[in-house]
Amino acid sequence: MTALRALVRKELASLFGTPTAYLALTMVALVTALIFFDHLRLYNQILFVYASATMGGFATDSIPDYVNLWDSVFFPVMETLGLTLIGVVPLVTMRAFAEERARGTDELILTTHLTPGQIVLAKFGVAYLFVASMMAVSFLYPVMAIEQGGLGLEHLSAVYLGLVLHGIGLASIGLVCSAFTSSQLVAAISAWAIAFLLWDLSWASSFVGERVAEILDALSIQPRYSSFAGGVVSLANVIYFAGIALVSLAAARFSFDLRRVSG
Amino acid sequence: MNGAVASADVDALPLPGRGIAIEAHTLTRRFGERLALDALTLRIERGASFALLGANGAGKTTFIRLVTGALLPTSGSLTVDGISPALRPAEVHARIGFVMETSRLYPEMRVRGFLRFMGGARGLAGAALVRAVDAALARFQLEPVASRLVGNLSKGYQQRVSLAQAFLDDPPLLIVDEPTGGLDPVQRREVQALLRGLRGKCTLLLCTHDLEEARTLATRVGVLHAGRLVAEGEPSELLGGADELALFRASVERAT
Repeated sequence: MTALRALVRKELASLFGTPTAYLALTMVALVTALIFFDHLRLYNQILFVYASATMGGFATDSIPDYVNLWDSVFFPVMETLGLTLIGVVPLVTMRAFAEERARGTDELILTTHLTPGQIVLAKFGVAYLFVASMMAVSFLYPVMAIEQGGLGLEHLSAVYLGLVLHGIGLASIGLVCSAFTSSQLVAAISAWAIAFLLWDLSWASSFVGERVAEILDALSIQPRYSSFAGGVVSLANVIYFAGIALVSLAAARFSFDLRRVSG
Repeated sequence: MNGAVASADVDALPLPGRGIAIEAHTLTRRFGERLALDALTLRIERGASFALLGANGAGKTTFIRLVTGALLPTSGSLTVDGISPALRPAEVHARIGFVMETSRLYPEMRVRGFLRFMGGARGLAGAALVRAVDAALARFQLEPVASRLVGNLSKGYQQRVSLAQAFLDDPPLLIVDEPTGGLDPVQRREVQALLRGLRGKCTLLLCTHDLEEARTLATRVGVLHAGRLVAEGEPSELLGGADELALFRASVERAT
């Protein structure tokens, strides 16, 4: 445990001490704020139209159910945040193993008491902590949704469970891409490619047979993430994200064995 | 996954003395078609300072990577204190200190921070870690640069940092790969003096292509050529009076 603690401390200092990390945090905060205020402006315009239509005053019973703060503002913000994370998380995870390989320090730390499994876990834990801090930036909006939009705590929990699982999946995809290369650029690009492809695999459904289309839909992140954002918690969706993480981390661990064989 | 070896176990590790520290038997390693090590058979006794000499590409670094468990052999056997690095790397890691080439450090870390990290990774904690770091800083004359970034140090100081991290928990086996590569003559002399000071305190496996370094630091020398051990003996017997070219030519001729 001492060795693991030492690595976690070093990784925390290394990740939270880089400008790239704070650039990523700022990007996420800016994008979500822009999307939030843009949708809030649209929502206000719609309300204004309804208010004007009633002439005599603001009649809330004339507003259709689908025009509400959650569906018009907060849901699009959470959807955009999910997509933004795909763009940003690979920037955070690309260094994890690729930089160690490029410098040759991977072999140095492997001659300590640290095992490959511990190294993968430490790097994943720290990367995820950073991803979680990016998600925390968005916490203001659901709190407002509870205050203003009548969103229940149950719904909010589902939204955040989805966000947490999405982050875990993305961090592990980013790490496995970093584990198989010594180039940070290759790590980031391959993680983007895999994550964007997985985000919406269903786009390819129309080009393939029904059976394959079903499989593609099942592998797609977006419908599962949206399901959480819509307040629905399904065990299948939880298992899906946990599966992505387990397979990716096992592959990252396997990369150490592969290097011992291939050199 | 191999479990890490607890620091308490490290106290029970064999001290330099009689016995075999490293034993390779018909050790072979291929990278695709290229034969990097060709049926290497070698014994290094505990407490010896063994220099593995050879030109670039002779197989020195491959041998080191096999000893540290970073590579698996294609065939043959290798043990460190009777333990296979291929099968039980964690136990071997508890016995070794590894000094890589100069640039293989964390340039963004400060010297003391880097040593604290490496000490922690070697299972040291609390007061024992502080003592080990302070002792390493003093032993390798790093106190004046303790709070500087590793990346801002001269190559000579970086190599001292590398030696200091390897010696944090006083390992019975120290493996040093090209310790003076890229250093100027003054830095080279300083690093060689530090390595000479470690002689007899542990088993030293030194890989170098520098004859003078092997002559002054080693108690035994092996010459690698194209992955084969072509000569082995006392430095005076192998290197005495011979110039570099004559040594390699004679060794290779003997082997072929």
